[in-house]
Amino acid sequence: MNWVGLNTLIKREVGRFFAVYRQTVLPGLITTALYIAIFGFTLEQRISEIQGVPYTMFILPGLIMMNTLTNATSNTASSMLQMKLLQQLPDLLTAPLSGLEIALAYIIGGAVRGMVNGILVLLLGVFLIGMPVNNLFGTLMFIFLVSWAFSSMGLLLGQLAESWDQLAMMQNFFLTPLSFLGGIFYSIKMLPNWAQTLSYINPIYYMINGIRYTVLGVSDSEVEISILMAIVLTIGFTLASILLMQSGKKIKN
Amino acid sequence: METPAIDIKGLTKSYGELKALNGVNISIKKGEFFGLLGPNGAGKTTTINILTGLVFKERGSTKVFGKDTIKDFRYTRSKIGIAAQEFSVDWFFPIEKLLFFQAGYYGIKPKDAKPLVDSLLNRLGLSSKRNSRLRQLSGGMKRRFQIAKALVHDPEILILDEPTAGVDVELRRDLWKYLQDLHSRGKTILLTTHYIEEAELLCENVAIIDNGKILKMGAPKELTRELGEAGITVVLENLNGLNKKDLENYKYTRDKNRLHFSIKDPDEELPKIIRVLSNAGLHIQKIESNKSSLEDVFLNLTGKGINE
Repeated sequence: MNWVGLNTLIKREVGRFFAVYRQTVLPGLITTALYIAIFGFTLEQRISEIQGVPYTMFILPGLIMMNTLTNATSNTASSMLQMKLLQQLPDLLTAPLSGLEIALAYIIGGAVRGMVNGILVLLLGVFLIGMPVNNLFGTLMFIFLVSWAFSSMGLLLGQLAESWDQLAMMQNFFLTPLSFLGGIFYSIKMLPNWAQTLSYINPIYYMINGIRYTVLGVSDSEVEISILMAIVLTIGFTLASILLMQSGKKIKN
Repeated sequence: METPAIDIKGLTKSYGELKALNGVNISIKKGEFFGLLGPNGAGKTTTINILTGLVFKERGSTKVFGKDTIKDFRYTRSKIGIAAQEFSVDWFFPIEKLLFFQAGYYGIKPKDAKPLVDSLLNRLGLSSKRNSRLRQLSGGMKRRFQIAKALVHDPEILILDEPTAGVDVELRRDLWKYLQDLHSRGKTILLTTHYIEEAELLCENVAIIDNGKILKMGAPKELTRELGEAGITVVLENLNGLNKKDLENYKYTRDKNRLHFSIKDPDEELPKIIRVLSNAGLHIQKIESNKSSLEDVFLNLTGKGINE
């Protein structure tokens, strides 16, 4: 194992998103603050409580999850695609770094960005609306697992994509709809039966309800299933992204 | 026999229908300055990309100091520094930081890399730009940065893919001087180029490659002697008294009082020609010579110029 190489690439990946924190850290916080302000002052007047929780507080775990997974995904996806398009990837591929080391460094970089964003939104909820955190360890574990899983998924997308357009398509037509349909803003019990059934095949539904349980103690899904789903996604995407990196598909001729 | 620094045997590679490499064999000794000479699309970049792990080979073997570049990739890649033809672009970090990252990928910690990073920035005239981003550098500076990046882990083998493509004459000469300096300090250098002058000046041995095949390999002078032909023009007062038999061993043409000779080895043949002409009582007014170059060799081997 080339530990110095791995560590260097992790530092590069983390340094990269911190260097442009206005694009990578602040937007999630601002958007969440806007959600809190808008929903807090408007919708909360009409939707007083869901499962005994004030509406603004109900949506916050979902916002944590959305920020976590979109940031983790876009970090690895955009970094990998950028390195491909800007001819930086040969620097890594000609160095004594294995596919495992390159994939791990990217995944860790993306997971750090996901966690930073998730934790900052969590803190915003705590300080802005006094959101209680029932199980801090469980919450952090969910943020970590989701960051890692979606960072790995982003790496897969970044390696397979050949243009920004393809990447945007994956995010706009796949990730964002699944996040919104995963129950960020509502309980799936408010949906008709067929829509509830559809929600069960959406993995993000389990992530949102898992963290909602650890933060607020309420959830549409069994927490055990959410944890299991998070672990399965993490292992699955990690293995897939490492194997794809080792195969050299779309990055070597 | 000493293990070659680079040993390529029977290398083949196709991109769809296109046969990019068709059984390439190259052996480069430790400390040698070797040139891979060929036109665009000949297979030069594909060869070095396979050697460095950027491209999958089809068949054949690639070894660095006797170790396989796939099985022992950590060893072989740590021995090689590569300056690619294409500039990479980085928007985020200053160039000094990029050099530290590059050293890190090769397992060198920043504090250990610092002396070499400083020395490379100084030697390549980039010291004052150490905190600049790549986009703020001129084309020539970017080219020098590519070379600094290739050398930051102090590799034994330096591979340069068209290092002087698109640079001005002054920088080209400066880079040549630097490469000669590196070579004199024992670095093995593999250079791909389509500049004849560059290969003749720098390389101890060259391989001429075209359509994925090595056509000829050897020292530039030997190749020139073997396959090149120099043009000698002798201007005489008049040709009275010239007996055709005297010159029957030479390829020449007549043009009024001028004789144009095509000879393989001007150093050896020219005195003989002068002697023959003098013995025939002819008065030589002027001698003009066009030295043979690798360009002629390339023309002889492929039937086309290197830049065609």
